[in-house]
Amino acid sequence: MQGLLQQIISGVATGGIFASLALALVLIYNAMGLVNFAQGEMAMLATFVAFTLIDHGMSYWIAFPVALVIAFAGGIAIQRVVIRPVERAPILTMVIVTLGLATLVNGLAGFIFGYVPRSFPSPFSVQTVDILGAFVSYRDLGVIAVSTVVLLAIYLLLQRTTVGLTLRAAAHHPEASRLLGVRVSWMLALGWGLASAVGAVSGIMAAPILLLEPNMMQTIIIYAFAAAVLGGIESPLGAVVGGVIVGVTVNLAGTYLPFVGGDLQLAVALAIIVGVLILKPNGLFGRPSVRRV
Amino acid sequence: MAAASLLEMEDVRAGYGPTSVLHGISLSVPEGEIVSLLGANGAGKTTTLRAITCGVHWSGSIRFAGRSLSKMRTEDVVRAGIAHVPEGRGILTELTVEENLKLGSHLRRDGAAVRKDYDRVFEYFPVLRERRRLSASTLSGGEQQMLAVARALLMRPKLMLLDEPSLGLAPMVVRAIFEIIKAINQSDRVAVLLVEQNARLALEISTQAYVLEVGRVAIKGASAELKGNESVRRSYLGY
Repeated sequence: MQGLLQQIISGVATGGIFASLALALVLIYNAMGLVNFAQGEMAMLATFVAFTLIDHGMSYWIAFPVALVIAFAGGIAIQRVVIRPVERAPILTMVIVTLGLATLVNGLAGFIFGYVPRSFPSPFSVQTVDILGAFVSYRDLGVIAVSTVVLLAIYLLLQRTTVGLTLRAAAHHPEASRLLGVRVSWMLALGWGLASAVGAVSGIMAAPILLLEPNMMQTIIIYAFAAAVLGGIESPLGAVVGGVIVGVTVNLAGTYLPFVGGDLQLAVALAIIVGVLILKPNGLFGRPSVRRV
Repeated sequence: MAAASLLEMEDVRAGYGPTSVLHGISLSVPEGEIVSLLGANGAGKTTTLRAITCGVHWSGSIRFAGRSLSKMRTEDVVRAGIAHVPEGRGILTELTVEENLKLGSHLRRDGAAVRKDYDRVFEYFPVLRERRRLSASTLSGGEQQMLAVARALLMRPKLMLLDEPSLGLAPMVVRAIFEIIKAINQSDRVAVLLVEQNARLALEISTQAYVLEVGRVAIKGASAELKGNESVRRSYLGY
């Protein structure tokens, strides 16, 4: 029983990492109706930025927010330079552009930082604490705490502030929003900035576990896709719930299903994606899309 | 035509891609007055409004409060003081009633006056206060129209562009909304450019009217005169 609780808490921690990246995917999906295939690579690059800052002697808790701010600015810059020119292009064009962006960022990181995995510091120790008989590492608790704070901050920003309101308005109804004086184009850029920053949290949380290298996020992004699809690709809350469910499921499957082990965990995520798309295409929190004919 | 004109359109041409819809429209809206824009379906009424807020590509001259709107973006035209209630009302159905209203007042910094305006809006449309926490998609057509007018009012515009506020509404509701439009016009001196199928009602509350016919101004004049002119009524206004 303690073992189960232990695996669940550990799964929630991984789920927090998935949830952050899934939320980034959802923010951009809402703004432009497409999945940003470069989200994971952008998060990886931001993590390298954090690594460089820490490497140059900056303390972790200063490097962390500084890296997020840089990721935010970088997200805005990418939207302005790369995405805006193809904003009105067919969806396939934009998908190809984000795929190209992923390859570009990946290659750039490899060129600058090399492909040798580096250990990334974590401010939380790997020692365990006894919770109801389960041994839970401080690192897992730390990841859960950081993810919770970040996701809560995004929720409050979107739901309780004027900027959040105009951001949601611009994403759902650009034309009607313009008629209310909303600068839609800048709101989309802001959405990219936010997504980039939230994604960076995911990368920085994942790096101590996975080791930092340019391909680090390539499996995480699959889990994040699974989380976003499970939650309903348009729902920020769904992304978070989906992230936690995927994290726990994958962890439990890896522990208790002998044929899954460590090797087939990614297959579990893919099974979730396929299963959701067949059984409940709008996900847990998604609205069915109704079109009048 | 004594009052200074707030909006001045001269020889405005506009269209969608290769299809041209407006073939040189000239009209003016004096400060603080209600002007009706009448005509059959497809005459170019909606396109005229869309040209003003730059929702369609146009050429010619449009001046608002002395300033040219040429090459301006929709959001900047709106910020200059033009509230446009578009065809289909422009309600953001994913958001609540209250959030829709907030989008009307989000650019204003005069907090005390904003609160007063909310009180006034809720006085005009009590149903919006009752439903303010609900999703705007749950409102009926008439309530959505009320929300659209209320939201435009909260923008404190100098000019309101209303595109068929009566469309699809019960006659009682239409009456109520027109009375409120008149009241807003009189208490705040907000000028209104009103596109309307219901010519009789529009001529009742407006001071001047333009009748469009296939992208051109066919007739213009004082509303009272047009209303009294039997042949105009029969051939252009259909009542």
